[in-house]
Amino acid sequence: MANKILLIEDDDATADFVSRGLTEEGFVVDRAANGRDGLFHATDGSYDCIVLDRMLPGIDGMGVLGAVRAAGIETPVIVLSALGAAEDRIHGLTNGADDYLTKPFAFIELLARVRLLIRRGGAGKAVETVLRCGDLEMDLLARRTRRAGKAIDLQPREFRLLEFLLRHADQVVTRTMLLEGVWDYHFDPGTNVIDVHLSRLRKKVDEGFERPLLHTVRGAGYRLGIDP
Amino acid sequence: MYRSATFRFAALVFILQLASAAALIVMIGLSVRQQLNSDARRTVAVLRDDLRASYAGGGVAGLAREVRLRTGALVTPGTVLLLADRDGGRIAGNLDAWPPSVTPGAGSTEVTLYRSGLTAAEAMHVEGMRLRGGERLLVGTIVAGEARAIRMLEQVSGVALPLALMFASLAAWMAARMIVARLEEPLAALNAVAAGDLGARVPDDGSHDALATLGVAINGALERVETLMSELRMATDGLAHDLKSPLTRMRVVLERAATEVREPAAIESIDRALAEADRLFTMVQTALSITRAEAGIGRETFVAVDLAVELAGIAEMYAPVVEDAGRTLALDVPGTLPWVVHRELLAQALGNLIDNSLKYGAGPVTLGLDHTDGQVRVTVADRGPGIPAARHEDALRRFGRLDDARSGTGAGLGLSLAGAVARLHGGGLVLGDAAPGLVVTLNLGG
Repeated sequence: MANKILLIEDDDATADFVSRGLTEEGFVVDRAANGRDGLFHATDGSYDCIVLDRMLPGIDGMGVLGAVRAAGIETPVIVLSALGAAEDRIHGLTNGADDYLTKPFAFIELLARVRLLIRRGGAGKAVETVLRCGDLEMDLLARRTRRAGKAIDLQPREFRLLEFLLRHADQVVTRTMLLEGVWDYHFDPGTNVIDVHLSRLRKKVDEGFERPLLHTVRGAGYRLGIDP
Repeated sequence: MYRSATFRFAALVFILQLASAAALIVMIGLSVRQQLNSDARRTVAVLRDDLRASYAGGGVAGLAREVRLRTGALVTPGTVLLLADRDGGRIAGNLDAWPPSVTPGAGSTEVTLYRSGLTAAEAMHVEGMRLRGGERLLVGTIVAGEARAIRMLEQVSGVALPLALMFASLAAWMAARMIVARLEEPLAALNAVAAGDLGARVPDDGSHDALATLGVAINGALERVETLMSELRMATDGLAHDLKSPLTRMRVVLERAATEVREPAAIESIDRALAEADRLFTMVQTALSITRAEAGIGRETFVAVDLAVELAGIAEMYAPVVEDAGRTLALDVPGTLPWVVHRELLAQALGNLIDNSLKYGAGPVTLGLDHTDGQVRVTVADRGPGIPAARHEDALRRFGRLDDARSGTGAGLGLSLAGAVARLHGGGLVLGDAAPGLVVTLNLGG
């Protein structure tokens, strides 16, 4: 069954594009153009994810979010906002948002995050101690990484980077997602900082093996997986 | 110190206090003297009336007897009497002869005379008169008044002046303290606002005096500052929204186009346009960050971190990029340095500075941290050409790029952001000569 997404966005062009893009990716999208309609739909509770614009006519995004959470609805919410300062972001996340994406965003970024939230919401919260992808294996307790039985020596940050990729195996992770998830920063580091880290990791993980596991996804980011 | 208003005020209070004490002592002295004089005059008058009565009753002989009685050893020691014949020769009394300075019938006067048998001259209050029979009578009393008054003044001054000095000092100190204390609250409010607590105000003490009026005026100004700040916040938020929404739409259209065209050249153009859109967005975002940081917005998101760890993390993040450029990134930090910072902005500022060095500098990049004179300083240094001192101001201007860098892709915001971030932390940014090279110092306050 297709995942249902509620898009609450007042800007028609953005809503149109996002909704079209998500539909093409196999989601069912309902759109609300203002906070009141959005809140009405959201309390229905049958959505897998809510994409919520922060600045809305009528009830604003934060108001909608507050009302949704007050109603006991735990649907994952990703906030879209033109306000990108750290304090705005923190305010959004402490008010019950699961993710916060600053405008302007790339659609692929939004798609990757929506997928992440839906999977996180659906999967059990089982504590995994060994992460696997193909013949790559990471033991979180022993802090050991092997590929096809051969040990891979990783720096602490490389370990965390690979752990993040393994946890999101077969999913596209964007550079900002890596920056947030691995380094806990939310700014644009300017140069190709993340790419250089990834290319070093790739050398350790893929060099000398026939099938590469770490793939670059053009215009989006990276994906760890068996399929090219 | 002598020019400080508080000191001058205290000095004025001290002097006035002392002057009033001195005036009081002098006044008391004068009034004591006057009192003594009028006592003497009264004594003389009583004596004179008594003696006239005995003259009326007993004639010269009776009067002489009375005079002798009154100048005897057992009577008031201050009494001066002389009964003399028509030519001034003594009949009875304790003066040897009629003093030439006393004219009979001329009322009371003050003179200095020797009494019989005494070796010291004494000030006395005397009155001479001629009796009906032609004899002369001098009635008087020693006025110890002057001497006693002076002695009393001396005694009083000896005790009172040190006391007055003490009280004057105390008054001056208390007055100065009172002013300082009254200024404490306005000062605290102004400092709090300068430190970012825009809601701080001077409490109203209900006194309606000049200092309370000053407090009200300060509050008015602070109110205005807060309003302007919140307007600025709204304006930047609005600007962010107004600029970002069209940018989002533009990005959306370009992304859409990228999925629809097949021509490799067109795809490349669209990718370039997307990259430019992202660059434009980054510039808008950074410019907004600078404006907000300069306005002191964001202090509410300060967190306590170990700066040594934080810098190590930043170095670790940028090291691969620096190494790919054929350079090295060294770290020169103490073991630990807890500090309260805007983690995100600090990292962004340092990232920009490292980026700048990669673009315009040369040699190893050193990320330093030290805590001296109570100030925390983070430095980014390299061994490149540096910036001549005369160009520092140009380099620090927002969107200001030095000529040789103008062709590059930088927006000229890196140093502005670093400066704004340093000022947000209560410090500032300094460009220096690393001889050779550039050293950028971010003072994160003390």
